[in-house]
Amino acid sequence: MDNPKVIYFKNRTDSQLATSPELVEELAIISRAQQGDQQAFYQLYQKYHRKVYAICWRMLADKDSAEDVCQEVFVQLWQKITNFRGDSKFSTWLHSVTSNIVLGHLRKHKNWLQRIFSIEDQTIQDVTVEIEDTSELTALDKHIARLPERARLVFVLFAVEGYRHEEISKMLDMAVGTSKAQYHRAKSLLREWVEI
Amino acid sequence: MNKLLSEQDLQKTLAELPDEMTPHRDLWAGIDRAIQTKQQDKPSFDAPKKKVFIPTAWAASLVAAVLVTWVSFSPQLSDKPVNMAQQGHSPQNLVTAMQENFKQTKQTMLVSFGQPKVSELPKEIQEELIKLSSAQATIEKALTEDPSNNDLLNLLRWTQKQELDLLTQLYSPKWQSI
Repeated sequence: MDNPKVIYFKNRTDSQLATSPELVEELAIISRAQQGDQQAFYQLYQKYHRKVYAICWRMLADKDSAEDVCQEVFVQLWQKITNFRGDSKFSTWLHSVTSNIVLGHLRKHKNWLQRIFSIEDQTIQDVTVEIEDTSELTALDKHIARLPERARLVFVLFAVEGYRHEEISKMLDMAVGTSKAQYHRAKSLLREWVEI
Repeated sequence: MNKLLSEQDLQKTLAELPDEMTPHRDLWAGIDRAIQTKQQDKPSFDAPKKKVFIPTAWAASLVAAVLVTWVSFSPQLSDKPVNMAQQGHSPQNLVTAMQENFKQTKQTMLVSFGQPKVSELPKEIQEELIKLSSAQATIEKALTEDPSNNDLLNLLRWTQKQELDLLTQLYSPKWQSI
């Protein structure tokens, strides 16, 4: 039986593996982290936490929640890094792990009122982003944060993260048509809001 | 009232979105604490350190011949993947042998090229050599934790071969033209 910690190399040809010294070095770091080496894991954190935080922030539109979920992502990553099999790039796999953890967080923290009435679908958020946050954000990010939750999630997953509507519909438990409609809704609002 | 943003401009703005954002607080401290706590709660975490994927006895019975052939008859590094299962050496010895072989081959090559100074190379080439060297160091470190990992051995072999190929490309034409 294959050892889970080395499975990430399987199904890769040598040329796929060895495309650059950076990739090779990263694979070695991942291997060390899979062995339980915390220093190697910290190196992965240093390399990826800003990317993970950006996904969390855009999907959650809230600094504190984004920071909490970003931490949760790395805690879960430490426990599940042996699941990385190298079928895709590590960054792609980590993006997918992150998106799923964010969605899990949203499901867990939805209050009963929102569950019953789907309030987030009806309201356009006032800018709830704290002032200290906005200075570093692009104009588009500020407006993405104002989008209704479902439209924002679909927009971020489709337009920013590159998921297909079929994938998003499964992730968000909605029809493919609904995902497309939410995307167009988000796009229309953004085109209206973003100043030229 | 704002003019409506065109689809093209929206796509352009999207393409310019940064893929990184910096959190306002240090997140590592909390992650580190959580990891330590979970590790204490779950002492079996060390389980992944067990090396089970290559039966040691099987590997030990097969490696030596291939290793000896490889080290003795190959002036350049082999193109073929390193396979612990087909060689009969202890894993740590194999890593050491690979390192020694690489150093020797590189040294021989540099001598044949007239001991060129790396510091005189173009900056991009120097950077490439530094990247390769850094990758080698990282892989060697990983191999100290998991010396029987074939894939790491192959990665090490790849970086070594890349470095030798790069040096050959750089210096061979000059050497041949003398």
